[in-house]
Amino acid sequence: MDPSSSGIQEPFDLIRLSLSERVFVKLRGDRELTGVLHAYDGHMNLILSDVEETIMIVDPIEGGMEGQGTVKVAKRKMEMLFVRGDGVILVSPPSRT
Amino acid sequence: MLIFSVFKTLTDQRVTVELKNDLSITGVLKSVDQFLNIRLDSISVLDEARHPHMMAVKNCFIRGSVVRYVQLPAEHVDTQLLEDATRREVAAQGKR
Amino acid sequence: MSSLQGYVDRRVLLVLQDGRAIVGVLAGYDQKSNVVLSDSKERIYSIDEGVEEVELGLYLVKGDMIVLIGEIDEAIDQAVDLASIRAEPILPIRY
Repeated sequence: MDPSSSGIQEPFDLIRLSLSERVFVKLRGDRELTGVLHAYDGHMNLILSDVEETIMIVDPIEGGMEGQGTVKVAKRKMEMLFVRGDGVILVSPPSRT
Repeated sequence: MLIFSVFKTLTDQRVTVELKNDLSITGVLKSVDQFLNIRLDSISVLDEARHPHMMAVKNCFIRGSVVRYVQLPAEHVDTQLLEDATRREVAAQGKR
Repeated sequence: MSSLQGYVDRRVLLVLQDGRAIVGVLAGYDQKSNVVLSDSKERIYSIDEGVEEVELGLYLVKGDMIVLIGEIDEAIDQAVDLASIRAEPILPIRY
């Protein structure tokens, strides 16, 4: 039996085994998504449904040190979303708890 | 190739393309190519009061590389079909 | 290329990676979506004053720099009083 068709041999296998599961995706620009994974390709282009996006917006404090500031969190929901792979930092499978 | 095919099945549907400059453009998907460059018809820009730059633009060509997201019409996406096609494409690439 | 064919000889708006907006007549393009505009002007948006137009004339834009190309509806565009428009410039692309 071909071992690559069963267990996890390479990073993309982890994504393959997450198809039709809810995944967590970290993106460039302080964005995160959770959604159900329906499709992906070798560029890590993704198609997700039932998506919730979280954007972290840092408001720097006037005269404050670099890296200080208040973080605002904006959330929104989208029904079906294509995500371009070049923005993807990581894809994490569903927690098994 | 898979994603390209998905977009082709969505031609003539309304989609919202969100760009990496934070512009969101809604329009009818007219065509897509292998780079995922997109042509939209009957466009409108989200929050037009703040973004009047494209007021007189009725259709446009968007470079694939500047796209962050595309919001798709869920009722025209067969998720089971997508998952099967993804598994098939992955399997085909594994054999090469 | 998802083809710029239909845009040749039309007035178009080019949005560039750095946020600039340029209008002109699409004189030609190639496979890499490098583009030549004739009679082109940059439209500079500002929150404090109306839109300023700067003549650029014949202009070649490298395909890599292009965010989008839009066909301008001349009737609508001419009806807009650019001097009355106050808006932030388009943000640059951030990868």
